[in-house]
Amino acid sequence: MSAASRSTEKGPKTRITEILPPEGVPINFQVAGLGARFGAQMTDIILTGLIVIILMIIVAFSEVLSGDGVVAVGALSFFMLRAPYYVACEILWNGQTIGKRLLGLRVISGDGRALSPHAITVRNLMKEIEVFVPGTYLLIASELGFVPALLLLAWITILLAIPLFNPRRQRLGDIIANTFVIEVPRPVLMPDLARGAIEVGRFTFLPHHLDHYGRFELQTLEQILQVKTDALNATARKQHDTNLQRVSEAIVTRIGYEATIPPQDTEAFLRAFYRTQRAYLENKKLFGDAREDKFHKEAEPGA
Amino acid sequence: MNVEATAPDIRSARFRAEREADWLRLDKLVTQIEKMGLRSLNFEEARDLAALYRNTVNALSLAREISLDRALLSYLEALAARAYLAVYAPQATLKGLIWRLISRGIPQAVRRSATVLALAFLTMLLGGVAGYLLFVEDPTWYNTIVPSGLAGERGITSTRSQLESVLTSGGDATVDRLTAFASYLFSHNTQIALFTFALGVIICIPSTLLTFYNGLVVGAFVGLHVDRDLGYELFAWLSVHGVTELSAIAIACAGGFHLGLAVLFPGQMTRRDALRHKGRDAVKLALLAAIMLVVAAILEGFFRQLIQTPELRIAIGWGIGALWLWYFLMAGRGDPAE
Repeated sequence: MSAASRSTEKGPKTRITEILPPEGVPINFQVAGLGARFGAQMTDIILTGLIVIILMIIVAFSEVLSGDGVVAVGALSFFMLRAPYYVACEILWNGQTIGKRLLGLRVISGDGRALSPHAITVRNLMKEIEVFVPGTYLLIASELGFVPALLLLAWITILLAIPLFNPRRQRLGDIIANTFVIEVPRPVLMPDLARGAIEVGRFTFLPHHLDHYGRFELQTLEQILQVKTDALNATARKQHDTNLQRVSEAIVTRIGYEATIPPQDTEAFLRAFYRTQRAYLENKKLFGDAREDKFHKEAEPGA
Repeated sequence: MNVEATAPDIRSARFRAEREADWLRLDKLVTQIEKMGLRSLNFEEARDLAALYRNTVNALSLAREISLDRALLSYLEALAARAYLAVYAPQATLKGLIWRLISRGIPQAVRRSATVLALAFLTMLLGGVAGYLLFVEDPTWYNTIVPSGLAGERGITSTRSQLESVLTSGGDATVDRLTAFASYLFSHNTQIALFTFALGVIICIPSTLLTFYNGLVVGAFVGLHVDRDLGYELFAWLSVHGVTELSAIAIACAGGFHLGLAVLFPGQMTRRDALRHKGRDAVKLALLAAIMLVVAAILEGFFRQLIQTPELRIAIGWGIGALWLWYFLMAGRGDPAE
């Protein structure tokens, strides 16, 4: 199983991991950040806590029990509610609890198959050891002796450190169950810039014009051209126009384009260049000459 | 030069234009599934989902090779990922899962785990014998072995009548104190069970120690009562919940042994794989231990206090023990292995 995790051009903070489903086409997922997971966990704890408190209030007002009894019922129901809540939620909602839903997270299986009930049970039973038992002891930490407190500290430190030292940010339960938490991707379909009215012959590019750039520059240009200008305010609009102007000047200089581009034609020129450059690079790629960037580095296989 | 004509689409743009409608339809289906579940699809939609998913995954594979359109690639990546999650979702219902677990999964796992179960019970028994012998040799061991919270008012200085009153108490106690006591014991024993199970990963040592220690406590306890000539009454008192509860701890310990043995003797597999493989039975034993502890808490909280005659206590405790045994040995036989 390819568990290769590599940082993308967005910087080392986003982590992409590959899953190989039975179809044999690897699918990329973004590993959830620890902050979001902590947030989801807190949301779930607060939610289950609220349910317990409501239960306790009902018991207290029904006057069946008093004092200690109510506290005992609370402790008991919190204990009984915890693991079953996570297991049931994740089975019913395919790897999401309410907290994970709110933060757009999801548990998936590391082997590309469906998430099995066994895996869900394992990762949530381990949560008891990892989160709740040390958490409970932390609440009574002041009553512990020096050595137990030190042990508790070591325990919590080790368990917290485990996710930091593996690329998929798995905690111990995730490792045993072979699961990990991802961010649910949000698909947004932007228009295809290579389509639409582009006049033949308005700008002509020759092969020696097109040999300067690679995939990275092309897609950067695409990003700039994809900006929705209607949504910008006046200042941002002006900034955007200046950017286009500067990009077009840089391109003209770099590729040695002979004609000068009048300012009102900047965008049309960039679009025409984008389209021609893309067709050129895609053709090259089909023939085995994939150009990753302007240094003509070989593209990584599968990138 | 024909200035008016627009250029023909390039290859990757045609590729996208031909398939875009399908992707948008899949997108809609997936959104519907995420909001309302797979069950909200009608027949045509469910049928199309499978075909659309496969087509989209194909398109993604192709697009990675032929297209440099970033908008297209990131959209397809995200769509394929979401569709994958929707298609490969667990299809079982919660009710079906629970029923299968109880009717087949757990008893079959218990039968497969006979060796580790025997080891766990033996450890506890050895602990019990050791605790008893230690007490006989020097009663002050009692203070060392038994935690003060568990002992309550019962210590080596207690007289026979004091001990007897504890054994027969509860008939007049308020419900309040019962719940508090039961929940205390429950959380104590659940924690012991949890630790014996989970810490088994550390090559069985903590599980053995904890189970042995648990046996020591019971042994010392028995020693104290036998010394005050209350052996039979204690046996009855312990039987009500102890049969279930001590078995639960031994079963949790057996689950821990599974994990520890996988780490110690992984055989042909890597340790991680061995752990995952053995984990299947281990988790079922842990779930069983949890169920048994809940049953024990109910028995302890109510029946032990309500029933005062030793004979009835023994009958109930061991009767339920026999039911457990029958369940382990008989349930789920002949069904395919889980």
